[in-house]
Amino acid sequence: MYGGGYIQEEKQEATSPIDDSQKLAEFEARIDRGEKIEPHDWMPADYRKQLIRMIEQHAHSEVIGALPEGTWITRAPGFRRKLALIAKVQDEIGHAHLLYSAAETLGKSREQMINDLLTGKSKYSNVFNYPAKTWADVTVIGFLIDAGAIVNQVANSKGSYGPYCRALERICYEESFHLKQGHDAFITLATGTKAQHDMLQDALNRWWKPIMHFHGPPDKISEHTAKLMRWKVKMATNDDMRNQFLDMYVPKILEIGITIPDPNLKKNEATGQWEFSDPDWDEFKRVINGDGPCNAERLAVRQYVEEHGKWVRTAMMNPNQKVVIPFA
Amino acid sequence: MSKIPLNTPVLDPRIKRVDLESTYGTTAIGENEHWISWEVFHQKKRGDQHVHVGIVHAPDAQLALLFAKEQFGRRLACVNLWVTKSSDIFSFSYDDEDIFDNATAPEKQYREASGFRVMEKINRYKKSKQKA
Amino acid sequence: MEAIKNLLFRMADDELIYGHRMSEWTGMGPIMEEDIAYSSMAQDKIGHALANYSILEKEFQTAIPDKLAFFRKENELMNSQLVELSNHEYDFSLVRHFLFDHADFIRYEMLSTSSFVPLAQLSKKIKGELKYHVLHADTWLTRLGNATEESHARMQSALNELWNYALGIFEPSDYEAQLIAEKIFDGEKVLQRKWMEKISPIIEKANLKIPSSSTPVYGGRKGYHTDQLQPLLTEMAEVISSEAEGTEW
Repeated sequence: MYGGGYIQEEKQEATSPIDDSQKLAEFEARIDRGEKIEPHDWMPADYRKQLIRMIEQHAHSEVIGALPEGTWITRAPGFRRKLALIAKVQDEIGHAHLLYSAAETLGKSREQMINDLLTGKSKYSNVFNYPAKTWADVTVIGFLIDAGAIVNQVANSKGSYGPYCRALERICYEESFHLKQGHDAFITLATGTKAQHDMLQDALNRWWKPIMHFHGPPDKISEHTAKLMRWKVKMATNDDMRNQFLDMYVPKILEIGITIPDPNLKKNEATGQWEFSDPDWDEFKRVINGDGPCNAERLAVRQYVEEHGKWVRTAMMNPNQKVVIPFA
Repeated sequence: MSKIPLNTPVLDPRIKRVDLESTYGTTAIGENEHWISWEVFHQKKRGDQHVHVGIVHAPDAQLALLFAKEQFGRRLACVNLWVTKSSDIFSFSYDDEDIFDNATAPEKQYREASGFRVMEKINRYKKSKQKA
Repeated sequence: MEAIKNLLFRMADDELIYGHRMSEWTGMGPIMEEDIAYSSMAQDKIGHALANYSILEKEFQTAIPDKLAFFRKENELMNSQLVELSNHEYDFSLVRHFLFDHADFIRYEMLSTSSFVPLAQLSKKIKGELKYHVLHADTWLTRLGNATEESHARMQSALNELWNYALGIFEPSDYEAQLIAEKIFDGEKVLQRKWMEKISPIIEKANLKIPSSSTPVYGGRKGYHTDQLQPLLTEMAEVISSEAEGTEW
């Protein structure tokens, strides 16, 4: 029996390369049966490590993702957009909260995760290192980045780790509002005045490359990837998810008179796969490694926010309280 | 600390108003700075059970309730919430999951409604009456 | 009629500008749980502004809410100067939240029996939201007032800075007598008295002191504002005013 959670010091199994083979067999059999893994279960060290990395990055992406859209909170045009945008950015912070909670159950504290974000040790989605220059950028993000995220999140919600799946179920429910409000704002601009239409086309032209980067470069099908897919940590290849996204959303862009800035984009009906120009994977790598248009600003803002909230947090600290890993 | 190597100008008017340079590269969150965690139980409507829905970090019960209200009660129907410290939750280990194994086993049908075939017996009786 | 319109504009403008200031914290709060809670209150306030502008449109055939909120000139706004001040740090925002929301809560409580039915109905509808706002404010004020030397000093200094502006909430209008006589609203004087009675013991519980000398900052209700309002309005209207009025966004 576990009393009162389990303490943080106990968090990691020995990182021995040889996990107990019988336990591993039971673990894999459970996943094969479609059952979920829960926080206190035995799990291979690599499973824990990969999940923490993935869920943490997902959480960071929500926190940082709040920034480009937050850019337009004080300038949103009209009550309806203003309220929806505040609610949407609020949801992103709410999602980060749910995701950090899920990652916490694996033994890494929220403080540690945020520190790793602030130092650049832990990554977040590359797209948020691009600027939201106009109101139309918010509609592109709200519609297409959220759409891309939903493809990813729906796949991951069928993964093997219970707390992550539970968090994603709620997140997907809220994302459906994000997508709808993004789509609505996108259509409004596309079918609005000439200036609105042009602003949207310009925004999509700038965002298309990051959108194509969103699901990541084509996977190298390594033994490691195969293992993560068997363990239901990774649920689909990057190309599969990108393909699914293009299938669903290219028609929705074209049907309202917006063009996509890639003359080579087309679906190969024979293979069912989309073909497109090289989206510049070198740029993707440069941005991941810190040299994107907004990397420095994004982290500086988070550092500023954390520093200025510190007095509130430390004032309320109570050294007599017992900190345990939550159940979530 | 060095100047922030901004590649593009800051666009958010909220950020333009603050002095980003002042904290650049200096911040770290201390251990336990996010307080302890509280498990949150949500009651959808009167008459329903409270159901566990997640956690919040808070320094005390009252703030935990205030935070839980917005994180777990802002979008869903809700009439009441409970919070309890995560450290006050006790649970079985999943290693002992087998102690629950036979709860729904066929041998335990004697405590299920489906374990009793009343109609069969009634029909048999009725049939024998008809013959007689 | 002018009396009710004036009251509605004062309330709506307060809520719009204050909600806008609150929304500047969205995504930038001291800890994510608080960030979420604060964003909800920002939405509530802006929602209350919308509700009041909608009453103006429906009952008095004014322009639509978007026009009232996004296209009026600075000297046409009747909000108290308290709500337009920049956010500063979280201490300043929390103390303003405490001072404003108690007045807001009591104002709507008084309006729940108003002879002007739309306001009485609105009051009943948003009572729960306001109750949460006040509970949230009281909790933080009493916690941080009593926590550390630093947090206490910060809260006291914010209270000192904000006090005179808070008294400006109750700047009397030209219609006080009429509002009272027609049983629409019991007036700013009664509101201020009830507010003092309500907040004094909480401030004491927070180990804070109400500044001894007080000079209310009036002017906001008549369209006189600090230099912090115009930049807010320019920013708020940047996108919507880039196209002709009435364009859908």
